[in-house]
Amino acid sequence: MPDARPPAAVTGVAAVSALGPDAETLLAGALAGTPAFAPVRRFDVAGRRVQVAATAPGHPDLAGELAGVVDRACAAAGLDADARRDIPLLLAVHAHPAMARAGDRAPLTAAAFAHALAVRCGLAGITRAYTSACVAASTAVADAAAMLALGHADRVIVAGGYLVDPDQFAVFDAGRALARDGQVRPFSAGRGGILLGDGVAAVVLETPAAAARRAAPVLAHVAGWGRAGDAFHVCQPRPDAAVPARAIAAALARAGVDAGAVGYVNAHGSGTAASDAAEAAALRAALGDVAATVPVSSTKSVHGQALEASGLLELVVTVLALRAGALPVNAGYRDRDPDCPLNVVTEPRAARPDYALSLNSAFGGANTALLVRAA
Amino acid sequence: MNATLTRDAGLLGGLIAAAHEAGLTVRSAAAWPAGPDDALPSLPGFVDSTFSPLVAAVAARCLSHREPADPTALVLLSPLGDVATAVHLAHAVDHGERVGPLLFFQSVPNAVAGHVAARWGLRGPVVCLSADASGLAAAALLLADGDADAALVIVADQAPPGSAATDRAAAVLVTAVTPVTAVTGGKAS
Repeated sequence: MPDARPPAAVTGVAAVSALGPDAETLLAGALAGTPAFAPVRRFDVAGRRVQVAATAPGHPDLAGELAGVVDRACAAAGLDADARRDIPLLLAVHAHPAMARAGDRAPLTAAAFAHALAVRCGLAGITRAYTSACVAASTAVADAAAMLALGHADRVIVAGGYLVDPDQFAVFDAGRALARDGQVRPFSAGRGGILLGDGVAAVVLETPAAAARRAAPVLAHVAGWGRAGDAFHVCQPRPDAAVPARAIAAALARAGVDAGAVGYVNAHGSGTAASDAAEAAALRAALGDVAATVPVSSTKSVHGQALEASGLLELVVTVLALRAGALPVNAGYRDRDPDCPLNVVTEPRAARPDYALSLNSAFGGANTALLVRAA
Repeated sequence: MNATLTRDAGLLGGLIAAAHEAGLTVRSAAAWPAGPDDALPSLPGFVDSTFSPLVAAVAARCLSHREPADPTALVLLSPLGDVATAVHLAHAVDHGERVGPLLFFQSVPNAVAGHVAARWGLRGPVVCLSADASGLAAAALLLADGDADAALVIVADQAPPGSAATDRAAAVLVTAVTPVTAVTGGKAS
Protein backbone atom coordinates (compact mmCIF):
# COMPACT_ATOMS: atom_id res chain seq x y z
CA MET A 1 0.00 0.00 0.00
CA PRO A 2 1.21 3.54 -0.71
CA ASP A 3 2.28 5.89 2.07
CA ALA A 4 0.00 8.57 3.46
CA ARG A 5 0.17 11.77 1.41
CA PRO A 6 -0.88 15.37 1.88
CA PRO A 7 -4.34 16.09 0.42
CA ALA A 8 -5.21 18.28 -2.55
CA ALA A 9 -7.47 21.24 -1.79
CA VAL A 10 -10.43 21.74 -4.14
CA THR A 11 -10.74 25.51 -4.56
CA GLY A 12 -12.99 25.86 -7.59
CA VAL A 13 -15.49 23.72 -9.51
CA ALA A 14 -17.74 24.24 -12.51
CA ALA A 15 -19.94 21.88 -14.52
CA VAL A 16 -22.45 21.66 -17.35
CA SER A 17 -24.84 18.71 -17.69
CA ALA A 18 -28.26 17.86 -19.03
CA LEU A 19 -29.59 18.91 -15.61
CA GLY A 20 -28.54 22.48 -16.31
CA PRO A 21 -25.82 24.93 -17.31
CA ASP A 22 -23.98 25.02 -13.97
CA ALA A 23 -22.86 22.97 -10.99
CA GLU A 24 -25.80 24.17 -8.86
CA THR A 25 -28.41 22.65 -11.19
CA LEU A 26 -26.34 19.45 -11.38
CA LEU A 27 -26.35 19.23 -7.58
CA ALA A 28 -30.06 20.04 -7.31
CA GLY A 29 -30.95 17.30 -9.79
CA ALA A 30 -28.71 14.78 -8.02
CA LEU A 31 -30.09 15.57 -4.56
CA ALA A 32 -33.68 15.38 -5.79
CA GLY A 33 -33.05 12.27 -7.89
CA THR A 34 -34.50 13.81 -11.04
CA PRO A 35 -33.34 11.94 -14.17
CA ALA A 36 -32.58 14.08 -17.23
CA PHE A 37 -33.21 11.40 -19.86
CA ALA A 38 -35.31 12.27 -22.88
CA PRO A 39 -35.57 11.42 -26.58
CA VAL A 40 -32.46 12.55 -28.45
CA ARG A 41 -33.02 15.61 -30.69
CA ARG A 42 -29.37 16.57 -31.27
CA PHE A 43 -28.87 14.09 -34.12
CA ASP A 44 -30.76 11.41 -35.98
CA VAL A 45 -31.33 8.27 -33.90
CA ALA A 46 -33.80 6.61 -36.29
CA GLY A 47 -32.97 2.93 -36.53
CA ARG A 48 -31.25 2.74 -33.16
CA ARG A 49 -32.60 0.23 -30.62
CA VAL A 50 -32.63 2.94 -27.95
CA GLN A 51 -33.29 6.62 -28.70
CA VAL A 52 -32.85 8.25 -25.29
CA ALA A 53 -29.99 10.14 -23.60
CA ALA A 54 -29.42 13.01 -21.16
CA THR A 55 -28.57 15.97 -23.36
CA ALA A 56 -28.41 19.70 -22.79
CA PRO A 57 -30.50 21.77 -25.25
CA GLY A 58 -29.24 22.53 -28.74
CA HIS A 59 -25.85 21.78 -30.25
CA PRO A 60 -23.23 22.84 -27.71
CA ASP A 61 -19.61 23.07 -28.86
CA LEU A 62 -17.19 21.01 -26.77
CA ALA A 63 -14.25 23.43 -27.00
CA GLY A 64 -16.47 26.36 -26.01
CA GLU A 65 -18.11 24.50 -23.15
CA LEU A 66 -14.71 23.37 -21.82
CA ALA A 67 -13.35 26.92 -21.97
CA GLY A 68 -16.47 28.05 -20.10
CA VAL A 69 -16.06 25.60 -17.21
CA VAL A 70 -12.31 26.25 -16.91
CA ASP A 71 -12.96 30.01 -16.76
CA ARG A 72 -15.73 29.61 -14.20
CA ALA A 73 -13.75 27.18 -12.01
CA CYS A 74 -10.78 29.58 -12.04
CA ALA A 75 -13.04 32.52 -11.20
CA ALA A 76 -14.62 30.55 -8.34
CA ALA A 77 -11.13 29.77 -7.05
CA GLY A 78 -10.19 33.44 -7.28
CA LEU A 79 -7.48 32.92 -9.91
CA ASP A 80 -7.01 35.95 -12.16
CA ALA A 81 -5.20 35.94 -15.51
CA ASP A 82 -1.77 36.42 -13.91
CA ALA A 83 -2.27 33.60 -11.44
CA ARG A 84 -3.41 31.19 -14.17
CA ARG A 85 -0.36 31.56 -16.33
CA ASP A 86 1.77 28.65 -15.08
CA ILE A 87 -0.98 26.17 -14.18
CA PRO A 88 -0.86 22.70 -15.80
CA LEU A 89 -4.05 21.48 -17.50
CA LEU A 90 -5.01 17.80 -17.46
CA LEU A 91 -7.89 17.18 -19.87
CA ALA A 92 -10.06 14.06 -20.17
CA VAL A 93 -11.61 13.72 -23.61
CA HIS A 94 -12.43 10.99 -26.13
CA ALA A 95 -10.61 12.54 -29.08
CA HIS A 96 -10.27 15.81 -30.97
CA PRO A 97 -13.93 16.35 -31.95
CA ALA A 98 -13.04 17.11 -35.60
CA MET A 99 -10.57 14.26 -36.14
CA ALA A 100 -12.77 11.48 -37.52
CA ARG A 101 -14.28 13.64 -40.31
CA ALA A 102 -11.29 15.81 -41.22
CA GLY A 103 -9.22 15.68 -44.41
CA ASP A 104 -5.79 16.02 -42.82
CA ARG A 105 -6.20 14.15 -39.54
CA ALA A 106 -2.61 13.98 -38.33
CA PRO A 107 -2.62 17.36 -36.52
CA LEU A 108 -6.01 16.74 -34.87
CA THR A 109 -4.87 14.89 -31.77
CA ALA A 110 -6.58 15.09 -28.39
CA ALA A 111 -3.28 16.50 -27.13
CA ALA A 112 -3.55 19.35 -29.65
CA PHE A 113 -7.16 19.94 -28.53
CA ALA A 114 -5.96 20.15 -24.90
CA HIS A 115 -3.18 22.54 -25.85
CA ALA A 116 -5.60 24.80 -27.72
CA LEU A 117 -7.89 24.84 -24.67
CA ALA A 118 -4.97 25.81 -22.43
CA VAL A 119 -4.00 28.67 -24.76
CA ARG A 120 -7.61 29.85 -24.99
CA CYS A 121 -7.89 29.88 -21.19
CA GLY A 122 -4.52 31.56 -20.59
CA LEU A 123 -2.90 28.49 -19.05
CA ALA A 124 0.71 28.14 -20.14
CA GLY A 125 1.80 25.18 -18.04
CA ILE A 126 2.09 21.62 -19.34
CA THR A 127 -0.99 19.99 -20.80
CA ARG A 128 -1.88 16.33 -20.91
CA ALA A 129 -4.84 14.61 -22.63
CA TYR A 130 -6.29 11.49 -20.98
CA THR A 131 -8.27 9.15 -23.23
CA SER A 132 -8.75 6.16 -20.87
CA ALA A 133 -12.53 5.94 -21.43
CA CYS A 134 -14.62 6.11 -18.24
CA VAL A 135 -11.61 6.50 -15.91
CA ALA A 136 -9.94 9.24 -17.97
CA ALA A 137 -11.06 12.10 -15.71
CA SER A 138 -10.68 10.29 -12.40
CA THR A 139 -7.18 9.17 -13.41
CA ALA A 140 -6.37 12.77 -14.26
CA VAL A 141 -7.57 13.85 -10.79
CA ALA A 142 -5.42 11.16 -9.14
CA ASP A 143 -2.42 12.26 -11.19
CA ALA A 144 -3.07 15.91 -10.34
CA ALA A 145 -3.23 15.07 -6.63
CA ALA A 146 0.01 13.09 -6.97
CA MET A 147 1.70 15.99 -8.78
CA LEU A 148 0.74 18.28 -5.88
CA ALA A 149 1.72 15.80 -3.17
CA LEU A 150 5.10 15.07 -4.80
CA GLY A 151 5.92 18.76 -5.22
CA HIS A 152 5.68 18.86 -9.02
CA ALA A 153 3.19 21.74 -8.97
CA ASP A 154 1.37 24.06 -6.55
CA ARG A 155 -1.84 24.10 -8.53
CA VAL A 156 -3.39 21.96 -11.30
CA ILE A 157 -6.60 22.32 -13.32
CA VAL A 158 -8.39 19.13 -14.33
CA ALA A 159 -11.08 19.39 -17.00
CA GLY A 160 -13.14 16.80 -18.81
CA GLY A 161 -15.79 16.91 -21.46
CA TYR A 162 -18.17 14.63 -23.28
CA LEU A 163 -21.21 15.76 -25.26
CA VAL A 164 -23.51 13.00 -26.51
CA ASP A 165 -22.56 12.42 -30.15
CA PRO A 166 -23.82 10.21 -32.98
CA ASP A 167 -20.69 8.03 -33.17
CA GLN A 168 -20.50 6.92 -29.54
CA PHE A 169 -24.30 6.64 -29.44
CA ALA A 170 -24.11 4.27 -32.42
CA VAL A 171 -21.45 1.99 -30.90
CA PHE A 172 -23.12 1.79 -27.50
CA ASP A 173 -26.39 0.99 -29.25
CA ALA A 174 -24.70 -1.61 -31.46
CA GLY A 175 -23.08 -3.12 -28.39
CA ARG A 176 -26.54 -3.45 -26.79
CA ALA A 177 -25.27 -1.49 -23.81
CA LEU A 178 -28.10 1.07 -23.67
CA ALA A 179 -31.12 0.64 -21.38
CA ARG A 180 -34.20 -0.10 -23.47
CA ASP A 181 -36.59 1.15 -20.79
CA GLY A 182 -35.10 4.64 -20.95
CA GLN A 183 -33.88 4.75 -17.34
CA VAL A 184 -30.60 3.94 -15.62
CA ARG A 185 -31.22 1.79 -12.52
CA PRO A 186 -27.90 1.23 -10.76
CA PHE A 187 -27.79 -1.69 -8.29
CA SER A 188 -31.54 -2.35 -8.78
CA ALA A 189 -33.20 -5.60 -9.72
CA GLY A 190 -34.21 -5.37 -13.36
CA ARG A 191 -31.53 -2.87 -14.37
CA GLY A 192 -31.06 -2.79 -18.11
CA GLY A 193 -27.88 -0.89 -18.94
CA ILE A 194 -26.47 2.56 -19.36
CA LEU A 195 -27.63 5.74 -21.02
CA LEU A 196 -25.26 8.40 -22.30
CA GLY A 197 -25.27 11.91 -20.86
CA ASP A 198 -23.56 15.25 -21.42
CA GLY A 199 -20.91 16.19 -18.92
CA VAL A 200 -18.37 19.02 -19.02
CA ALA A 201 -16.57 19.92 -15.81
CA ALA A 202 -13.45 21.58 -14.42
CA VAL A 203 -11.84 21.49 -10.99
CA VAL A 204 -9.02 23.57 -9.52
CA LEU A 205 -6.76 21.57 -7.19
CA GLU A 206 -4.02 23.14 -5.06
CA THR A 207 -1.66 22.15 -2.30
CA PRO A 208 -3.21 23.18 1.03
CA ALA A 209 -0.24 25.52 1.54
CA ALA A 210 -0.73 27.22 -1.84
CA ALA A 211 -4.44 27.67 -1.13
CA ALA A 212 -3.72 29.06 2.33
CA ARG A 213 -1.09 31.52 1.02
CA ARG A 214 -3.69 33.30 -1.06
CA ALA A 215 -6.56 32.69 1.38
CA ALA A 216 -8.47 30.74 -1.28
CA PRO A 217 -11.85 29.21 -0.41
CA VAL A 218 -11.46 25.45 0.15
CA LEU A 219 -14.58 23.52 -0.90
CA ALA A 220 -13.24 20.07 0.06
CA HIS A 221 -10.07 18.00 -0.16
CA VAL A 222 -9.11 15.08 -2.35
CA ALA A 223 -7.59 13.24 0.60
CA GLY A 224 -6.80 9.93 -1.09
CA TRP A 225 -6.64 8.35 -4.53
CA GLY A 226 -5.99 4.93 -6.00
CA ARG A 227 -5.73 3.36 -9.45
CA ALA A 228 -5.51 -0.33 -10.35
CA GLY A 229 -6.18 -2.73 -13.22
CA ASP A 230 -8.14 -5.98 -13.41
CA ALA A 231 -5.80 -7.94 -15.71
CA PHE A 232 -8.92 -9.92 -16.55
CA HIS A 233 -10.78 -9.07 -19.76
CA VAL A 234 -11.18 -6.53 -22.53
CA CYS A 235 -14.57 -5.30 -21.33
CA GLN A 236 -15.89 -7.55 -18.54
CA PRO A 237 -15.22 -6.72 -14.88
CA ARG A 238 -13.33 -9.18 -12.75
CA PRO A 239 -15.94 -11.07 -10.67
CA ASP A 240 -13.71 -11.58 -7.62
CA ALA A 241 -13.48 -7.83 -6.94
CA ALA A 242 -9.86 -7.93 -5.88
CA VAL A 243 -8.64 -5.11 -8.08
CA PRO A 244 -11.21 -2.35 -7.60
CA ALA A 245 -10.85 -3.16 -3.91
CA ARG A 246 -7.12 -2.44 -4.28
CA ALA A 247 -7.86 1.01 -5.73
CA ILE A 248 -10.13 1.80 -2.75
CA ALA A 249 -7.54 0.49 -0.27
CA ALA A 250 -4.86 2.68 -1.87
CA ALA A 251 -7.13 5.75 -1.56
CA LEU A 252 -7.76 5.03 2.13
CA ALA A 253 -4.04 4.43 2.74
CA ARG A 254 -3.01 7.72 1.13
CA ALA A 255 -5.55 9.53 3.32
CA GLY A 256 -4.41 7.60 6.39
CA VAL A 257 -7.95 6.56 7.37
CA ASP A 258 -9.75 3.23 7.65
CA ALA A 259 -12.96 2.04 6.03
CA GLY A 260 -15.09 3.19 8.95
CA ALA A 261 -14.37 6.81 8.04
CA VAL A 262 -16.27 6.55 4.74
CA GLY A 263 -19.75 8.05 5.10
CA TYR A 264 -20.95 8.04 1.48
CA VAL A 265 -20.01 6.28 -1.76
CA ASN A 266 -20.64 7.90 -5.15
CA ALA A 267 -20.42 4.64 -7.04
CA HIS A 268 -19.44 4.02 -10.63
CA GLY A 269 -22.88 2.35 -10.79
CA SER A 270 -23.20 2.06 -14.54
CA GLY A 271 -26.57 0.31 -14.38
CA THR A 272 -25.38 -2.86 -16.14
CA ALA A 273 -25.93 -6.22 -14.48
CA ALA A 274 -22.35 -7.50 -14.26
CA SER A 275 -20.62 -4.19 -13.55
CA ASP A 276 -22.86 -3.21 -10.62
CA ALA A 277 -22.59 -6.67 -9.02
CA ALA A 278 -18.80 -6.56 -9.38
CA GLU A 279 -18.70 -3.11 -7.80
CA ALA A 280 -20.84 -4.27 -4.86
CA ALA A 281 -18.39 -7.14 -4.33
CA ALA A 282 -15.47 -4.73 -4.53
CA LEU A 283 -17.03 -2.51 -1.88
CA ARG A 284 -17.49 -5.56 0.33
CA ALA A 285 -13.87 -6.61 -0.19
CA ALA A 286 -12.51 -3.12 0.48
CA LEU A 287 -14.79 -1.87 3.24
CA GLY A 288 -15.82 -5.10 5.00
CA ASP A 289 -18.96 -4.78 7.11
CA VAL A 290 -19.08 -1.04 6.38
CA ALA A 291 -20.17 -1.92 2.81
CA ALA A 292 -23.55 -3.13 4.05
CA THR A 293 -24.37 0.10 5.84
CA VAL A 294 -22.59 3.02 4.14
CA PRO A 295 -24.99 5.01 1.92
CA VAL A 296 -24.31 4.39 -1.78
CA SER A 297 -25.68 6.02 -4.92
CA SER A 298 -24.78 6.36 -8.56
CA THR A 299 -25.56 9.77 -9.99
CA LYS A 300 -25.34 8.30 -13.48
CA SER A 301 -29.00 7.55 -12.75
CA VAL A 302 -29.74 11.27 -13.20
CA HIS A 303 -26.99 12.76 -15.45
CA GLY A 304 -26.15 9.66 -17.48
CA GLN A 305 -22.81 8.19 -18.48
CA ALA A 306 -20.49 11.03 -19.50
CA LEU A 307 -17.72 8.61 -20.59
CA GLU A 308 -14.30 10.31 -20.38
CA ALA A 309 -15.74 13.16 -18.27
CA SER A 310 -17.80 11.07 -15.86
CA GLY A 311 -15.24 10.89 -13.05
CA LEU A 312 -14.98 14.67 -12.90
CA LEU A 313 -18.73 15.30 -13.09
CA GLU A 314 -19.21 12.84 -10.22
CA LEU A 315 -16.38 14.40 -8.21
CA VAL A 316 -18.11 17.79 -8.52
CA VAL A 317 -21.41 16.24 -7.36
CA THR A 318 -19.65 14.58 -4.42
CA VAL A 319 -17.81 17.75 -3.32
CA LEU A 320 -20.98 19.85 -3.49
CA ALA A 321 -23.12 17.21 -1.75
CA LEU A 322 -20.70 17.14 1.20
CA ARG A 323 -21.07 20.91 1.43
CA ALA A 324 -24.86 20.77 1.07
CA GLY A 325 -25.30 18.25 3.89
CA ALA A 326 -27.38 15.90 1.74
CA LEU A 327 -26.76 12.72 -0.24
CA PRO A 328 -27.38 12.30 -3.99
CA VAL A 329 -30.27 9.99 -4.83
CA ASN A 330 -29.88 6.78 -6.86
CA ALA A 331 -32.83 7.31 -9.22
CA GLY A 332 -34.61 4.50 -11.03
CA TYR A 333 -34.24 2.01 -8.18
CA ARG A 334 -37.06 -0.54 -8.08
CA ASP A 335 -36.17 -3.63 -6.04
CA ARG A 336 -33.25 -5.06 -4.14
CA ASP A 337 -30.87 -7.26 -6.12
CA PRO A 338 -29.29 -9.97 -3.94
CA ASP A 339 -26.07 -9.47 -5.93
CA CYS A 340 -25.93 -5.83 -4.77
CA PRO A 341 -26.39 -5.95 -0.96
CA LEU A 342 -25.85 -2.23 -0.43
CA ASN A 343 -27.54 0.62 1.46
CA VAL A 344 -28.69 2.38 -1.71
CA VAL A 345 -29.92 5.98 -1.29
CA THR A 346 -33.33 5.90 -2.97
CA GLU A 347 -34.88 9.02 -1.41
CA PRO A 348 -33.49 12.47 -0.56
CA ARG A 349 -31.50 12.12 2.64
CA ALA A 350 -29.70 14.62 4.89
CA ALA A 351 -26.23 13.64 6.05
CA ARG A 352 -22.87 15.28 6.75
CA PRO A 353 -20.21 12.63 6.28
CA ASP A 354 -16.56 13.59 6.77
CA TYR A 355 -15.37 11.38 3.91
CA ALA A 356 -16.93 10.21 0.65
CA LEU A 357 -15.58 7.85 -2.01
CA SER A 358 -16.05 8.51 -5.73
CA LEU A 359 -15.46 5.34 -7.78
CA ASN A 360 -15.02 4.78 -11.51
CA SER A 361 -14.36 1.78 -13.73
CA ALA A 362 -13.74 1.42 -17.44
CA PHE A 363 -13.14 -1.01 -20.26
CA GLY A 364 -9.80 -2.67 -20.01
CA GLY A 365 -10.34 -3.35 -16.31
CA ALA A 366 -9.23 0.10 -15.19
CA ASN A 367 -10.45 1.17 -11.74
CA THR A 368 -10.03 4.38 -9.76
CA ALA A 369 -11.03 5.56 -6.30
CA LEU A 370 -11.02 9.18 -5.08
CA LEU A 371 -11.56 9.87 -1.38
CA VAL A 372 -13.06 13.30 -0.74
CA ARG A 373 -12.83 14.92 2.70
CA ALA A 374 -15.28 17.63 3.69
CA ALA A 375 -13.70 21.04 4.23
CA MET B 1 17.24 -5.10 -22.76
CA ASN B 2 16.38 -7.72 -25.32
CA ALA B 3 17.80 -7.26 -28.75
CA THR B 4 14.81 -7.53 -31.09
CA LEU B 5 15.54 -4.07 -32.42
CA THR B 6 14.87 -2.21 -34.66
CA ARG B 7 14.26 -0.75 -38.02
CA ASP B 8 12.60 2.17 -36.37
CA ALA B 9 15.09 3.42 -33.85
CA GLY B 10 13.44 6.85 -33.99
CA LEU B 11 10.26 6.00 -32.11
CA LEU B 12 11.96 3.57 -29.73
CA GLY B 13 14.98 5.81 -29.33
CA GLY B 14 12.69 8.64 -28.29
CA LEU B 15 10.96 6.42 -25.76
CA ILE B 16 14.23 5.21 -24.24
CA ALA B 17 15.54 8.77 -24.08
CA ALA B 18 12.35 9.89 -22.34
CA ALA B 19 12.76 7.06 -19.82
CA HIS B 20 16.32 8.08 -19.04
CA GLU B 21 15.31 11.72 -18.79
CA ALA B 22 12.66 10.72 -16.26
CA GLY B 23 15.28 8.86 -14.23
CA LEU B 24 13.83 5.41 -14.98
CA THR B 25 15.62 2.17 -15.77
CA VAL B 26 14.68 0.40 -19.03
CA ARG B 27 14.34 -3.37 -18.40
CA SER B 28 13.19 -4.38 -21.85
CA ALA B 29 12.46 -2.65 -25.15
CA ALA B 30 10.95 -3.50 -28.49
CA ALA B 31 9.79 -1.93 -31.72
CA TRP B 32 7.23 -2.90 -34.34
CA PRO B 33 8.03 -3.42 -37.12
CA ALA B 34 11.55 -4.61 -36.43
CA GLY B 35 12.21 -5.46 -40.06
CA PRO B 36 10.64 -5.56 -43.50
CA ASP B 37 9.30 -9.08 -42.91
CA ASP B 38 7.35 -8.24 -39.77
CA ALA B 39 3.74 -9.14 -40.56
CA LEU B 40 1.21 -7.98 -37.99
CA PRO B 41 -0.75 -10.96 -36.57
CA SER B 42 -4.50 -10.46 -36.38
CA LEU B 43 -6.01 -10.16 -32.92
CA PRO B 44 -9.23 -12.15 -32.29
CA GLY B 45 -12.12 -9.89 -31.32
CA PHE B 46 -10.68 -6.79 -32.97
CA VAL B 47 -11.65 -5.84 -36.53
CA ASP B 48 -11.13 -3.28 -39.29
CA SER B 49 -8.09 -1.56 -37.79
CA THR B 50 -4.41 -2.29 -37.17
CA PHE B 51 -4.31 -0.27 -33.94
CA SER B 52 -5.09 -3.01 -31.41
CA PRO B 53 -3.01 -5.71 -33.18
CA LEU B 54 -0.11 -3.24 -33.29
CA VAL B 55 -0.32 -2.58 -29.54
CA ALA B 56 -0.63 -6.29 -28.72
CA ALA B 57 2.32 -7.22 -30.97
CA VAL B 58 4.76 -4.68 -29.58
CA ALA B 59 3.73 -5.52 -26.00
CA ALA B 60 4.33 -9.22 -26.61
CA ARG B 61 7.73 -8.51 -28.13
CA CYS B 62 8.71 -6.37 -25.15
CA LEU B 63 7.48 -8.78 -22.44
CA SER B 64 8.33 -12.14 -23.96
CA HIS B 65 11.79 -12.22 -22.34
CA ARG B 66 10.96 -10.37 -19.19
CA GLU B 67 8.48 -11.26 -16.46
CA PRO B 68 6.98 -8.00 -15.23
CA ALA B 69 6.87 -7.05 -11.57
CA ASP B 70 3.53 -6.98 -9.76
CA PRO B 71 1.82 -4.61 -9.99
CA THR B 72 2.94 -3.32 -13.38
CA ALA B 73 1.12 -0.34 -14.87
CA LEU B 74 0.17 -0.11 -18.53
CA VAL B 75 0.58 3.34 -20.09
CA LEU B 76 -0.59 3.50 -23.70
CA LEU B 77 0.51 6.60 -25.61
CA SER B 78 -1.00 7.28 -29.01
CA PRO B 79 -1.32 10.69 -30.67
CA LEU B 80 -4.59 9.92 -32.47
CA GLY B 81 -5.70 6.71 -30.75
CA ASP B 82 -7.35 4.14 -33.01
CA VAL B 83 -7.82 6.51 -35.93
CA ALA B 84 -8.90 3.79 -38.39
CA THR B 85 -11.75 2.69 -36.10
CA ALA B 86 -12.82 6.32 -35.54
CA VAL B 87 -12.88 7.00 -39.29
CA HIS B 88 -14.66 3.72 -40.04
CA LEU B 89 -17.31 4.46 -37.40
CA ALA B 90 -17.87 8.04 -38.59
CA HIS B 91 -18.30 6.80 -42.17
CA ALA B 92 -20.81 4.16 -41.09
CA VAL B 93 -22.82 6.71 -39.10
CA ASP B 94 -22.79 9.33 -41.88
CA HIS B 95 -23.88 6.83 -44.53
CA GLY B 96 -26.48 4.97 -42.49
CA GLU B 97 -24.48 1.73 -42.61
CA ARG B 98 -24.65 -0.97 -39.97
CA VAL B 99 -22.31 -0.47 -37.01
CA GLY B 100 -20.83 -3.81 -35.93
CA PRO B 101 -21.04 -4.74 -32.24
CA LEU B 102 -17.27 -5.32 -32.00
CA LEU B 103 -16.71 -1.61 -32.56
CA PHE B 104 -18.39 -1.02 -29.19
CA PHE B 105 -15.38 -1.72 -27.04
CA GLN B 106 -12.82 -1.17 -29.79
CA SER B 107 -13.74 2.52 -29.92
CA VAL B 108 -11.59 3.24 -26.84
CA PRO B 109 -7.87 2.46 -26.41
CA ASN B 110 -8.59 0.83 -23.03
CA ALA B 111 -9.91 -2.25 -24.81
CA VAL B 112 -6.59 -3.43 -26.19
CA ALA B 113 -4.91 -2.19 -23.03
CA GLY B 114 -7.18 -4.58 -21.14
CA HIS B 115 -6.28 -7.36 -23.55
CA VAL B 116 -2.56 -6.80 -22.95
CA ALA B 117 -3.03 -6.50 -19.19
CA ALA B 118 -4.97 -9.76 -19.06
CA ARG B 119 -2.53 -11.60 -21.34
CA TRP B 120 0.51 -10.61 -19.28
CA GLY B 121 -1.04 -10.32 -15.83
CA LEU B 122 -0.45 -6.58 -15.44
CA ARG B 123 -2.49 -5.51 -12.37
CA GLY B 124 -1.35 -1.92 -12.11
CA PRO B 125 -3.17 1.18 -13.34
CA VAL B 126 -4.26 1.37 -16.99
CA VAL B 127 -3.69 4.87 -18.43
CA CYS B 128 -4.21 5.97 -22.04
CA LEU B 129 -2.96 9.34 -23.21
CA SER B 130 -2.95 11.25 -26.49
CA ALA B 131 0.82 11.73 -26.53
CA ASP B 132 4.13 10.85 -28.08
CA ALA B 133 7.10 9.50 -26.11
CA SER B 134 7.02 12.57 -23.84
CA GLY B 135 3.91 11.06 -22.26
CA LEU B 136 6.24 8.64 -20.49
CA ALA B 137 6.31 11.27 -17.74
CA ALA B 138 2.88 9.93 -16.73
CA ALA B 139 4.45 6.52 -16.05
CA ALA B 140 7.20 8.14 -13.99
CA LEU B 141 4.52 9.84 -11.91
CA LEU B 142 2.69 6.53 -11.30
CA LEU B 143 5.91 4.87 -10.14
CA ALA B 144 6.81 7.80 -7.87
CA ASP B 145 3.28 7.81 -6.46
CA GLY B 146 3.43 4.09 -5.64
CA ASP B 147 0.49 2.52 -7.51
CA ALA B 148 2.89 0.32 -9.52
CA ASP B 149 6.41 -1.10 -9.24
CA ALA B 150 6.99 -1.12 -13.00
CA ALA B 151 5.30 0.25 -16.10
CA LEU B 152 4.93 -1.06 -19.62
CA VAL B 153 4.90 2.09 -21.75
CA ILE B 154 3.74 1.69 -25.34
CA VAL B 155 3.75 4.31 -28.08
CA ALA B 156 1.41 3.32 -30.90
CA ASP B 157 1.42 5.60 -33.92
CA GLN B 158 -1.19 4.36 -36.36
CA ALA B 159 -1.08 5.95 -39.80
CA PRO B 160 -4.34 7.78 -40.61
CA PRO B 161 -6.28 6.13 -43.47
CA GLY B 162 -5.16 7.53 -46.84
CA SER B 163 -1.88 8.91 -45.53
CA ALA B 164 1.53 7.86 -46.85
CA ALA B 165 2.77 7.06 -43.35
CA THR B 166 3.07 3.52 -41.99
CA ASP B 167 2.03 2.08 -38.65
CA ARG B 168 4.76 1.92 -36.04
CA ALA B 169 5.01 1.21 -32.36
CA ALA B 170 7.57 0.96 -29.59
CA ALA B 171 7.45 -0.31 -26.03
CA VAL B 172 9.63 -0.17 -22.94
CA LEU B 173 9.30 -1.88 -19.58
CA VAL B 174 10.56 0.62 -17.02
CA THR B 175 11.15 0.63 -13.30
CA ALA B 176 12.39 3.14 -10.81
CA VAL B 177 16.12 2.81 -10.26
CA THR B 178 16.12 -0.33 -8.08
CA PRO B 179 15.80 -3.54 -10.14
CA VAL B 180 12.59 -5.40 -9.37
CA THR B 181 12.21 -7.71 -12.37
CA ALA B 182 13.90 -10.98 -13.20
CA VAL B 183 14.88 -12.50 -16.52
CA THR B 184 12.87 -15.65 -17.07
CA GLY B 185 13.63 -16.48 -20.66
CA GLY B 186 10.00 -17.47 -21.03
CA LYS B 187 6.56 -15.98 -21.02
CA ALA B 188 4.80 -14.50 -18.07
CA SER B 189 1.65 -16.18 -16.84
